[in-house]
Amino acid sequence: MKDKQFWIVLSGLIVAFLIFWFAGQPMFNEDRVVMFITIVAISATLLYNIRMAKRGETFYLRPIPGLKAIEEAVGRSTEMGKPVLYVPGIMDMDQVETVAGVIVLGHVARMTARYETSLNVPVSRSIVMKAAREVCRESYMMEGRPDMFNDDMVHYLTDDQFAYAAGVNGIMIREKPAACLYMGKFYAESLILAETGNSIGAIQIAGTASQAQIPFFVTACDYTLIGEEFFAASAYLSQKPELIGGVRGQDMVKVAVISVIILATLLRFIYETWGVGFDAIKLLTVQ
Amino acid sequence: MIWKRQIPILIVAFIGALTLFGWFVEEPNIKAFVDDDATQWYDILASFAIILGAMNLMKMQIQKVARQKKGWPYSIVAIFGFLFAITAGFFIKGVDDSVAVWGAHVTTEGTLFKWIFDYMFTPLSATMFSLLAFFVASASYRAFRIRNFEASLLLVAGIIIMVGRVPIGSLISSWVIMYIIVLALGIGVNTWKKDKKITFGVVGVGIIIVTVAGMMTGWPLDKPAIFYLPIIQEWIYYYPNVAGTRAIMIGVGLGIFATSIRYILGIEKSYIGE
Repeated sequence: MKDKQFWIVLSGLIVAFLIFWFAGQPMFNEDRVVMFITIVAISATLLYNIRMAKRGETFYLRPIPGLKAIEEAVGRSTEMGKPVLYVPGIMDMDQVETVAGVIVLGHVARMTARYETSLNVPVSRSIVMKAAREVCRESYMMEGRPDMFNDDMVHYLTDDQFAYAAGVNGIMIREKPAACLYMGKFYAESLILAETGNSIGAIQIAGTASQAQIPFFVTACDYTLIGEEFFAASAYLSQKPELIGGVRGQDMVKVAVISVIILATLLRFIYETWGVGFDAIKLLTVQ
Repeated sequence: MIWKRQIPILIVAFIGALTLFGWFVEEPNIKAFVDDDATQWYDILASFAIILGAMNLMKMQIQKVARQKKGWPYSIVAIFGFLFAITAGFFIKGVDDSVAVWGAHVTTEGTLFKWIFDYMFTPLSATMFSLLAFFVASASYRAFRIRNFEASLLLVAGIIIMVGRVPIGSLISSWVIMYIIVLALGIGVNTWKKDKKITFGVVGVGIIIVTVAGMMTGWPLDKPAIFYLPIIQEWIYYYPNVAGTRAIMIGVGLGIFATSIRYILGIEKSYIGE
């Protein structure tokens, strides 16, 4: 969107909102006004940084070893003549982690196309299979290697958690992939997969926001993308300015969140001790 | 091109914005859509999509058997299992209609489907789940090996949590922990100074101080509380652990929000292959 279009759309939205507000904000849940303002503020920060990045401003991104290692892992598979195994988690596309996993798969597929390495993506949901196939197909086409793509590189195993783990373990043991990438939402099967991958000597990189599984991946994998690193992976790998701008916006919001935590703690302390001010926790609690 | 690019982006933007801002609106129809209808639509779509998955699974397994690829006998088991489950689910109930009608037969005792579930599926799932115990043991061994300061810290914290959470932990006196700390201090001093006399002095003085303090207070089991294992484990569990968890949660929350906003605004288009 060009500058002029952007400002016209933004002005239109602001005017529409002001009319709505001064008309007595019909149907608006006023208990959630703080949340609403927060969402608008965060969105504005992200948009601002995205636009700055699009205009050519360069931002420093902290190097993430796990993301750098993805290319090394694909390279290692190429040298060893073994496939790359990519596991996009066990949940469906309604989970944002699965979506992020499929996005990273697109970048991995580009690398495997470039290095002419075979890619194996067993999935546990049919919709993920379709989405992952489309992403891989586009990646191979973008790399100019549509001949290397075949539908069966993304294949369905089962919806069941442990049956899926058994299926993926079987693939690992039989095919001995040189690199195993786990990017998505995982539950108890995470350690079963990662330990089996470890036992076959594959280089392993995991990325998840599933808190309970992070320790398992940290223990069994060579690199782990923890929480937000996983969601920023697409920006790092694509190096697209609009995505990098979003990551920077995220960091700015994080600074703001830390400031709010400190301020709320102080306000709460003052309120509890001397009864001065207001209960900040009550204000910030989502209704 | 418009069907593969602009229309999907428009649908994502509209539904995404409706779901996000629908949370702030007190309108029963929008609320019903956000809370129930949208997820039900997804479930219906996913149910139809399972046919694609099943067909793909069969195609892969049949190809494997036909080409006699590595591990092809397992594919025969997979094909047989699939057909057996389909037969039990749709064609042979194994009981009369008076016992269970079609549909209810999947949960009724005595039916073929329930037999598959109870005597094949459940034990196989339990077997896979049980493997987790062995994997936890091997992973713990690797994690707890003392390689550096962080690994040592993890080991100590792990031991305190494990011992502090079981009944025997509450029987270990805080004075025993204090003696252990004095000995650990001795190890630290010895590593740092590499002098036997200084090490001996520190350990000796430490033991004397702890012993005298213990004799003066009558060796209470849980005093001083700061050295009592259940108290230490509780502190580790509720403070450093929660702080770390919340830091990750905030990052995850922001990541999810930023990703969602990128989708709603059409900035991230990887899902349509761009």
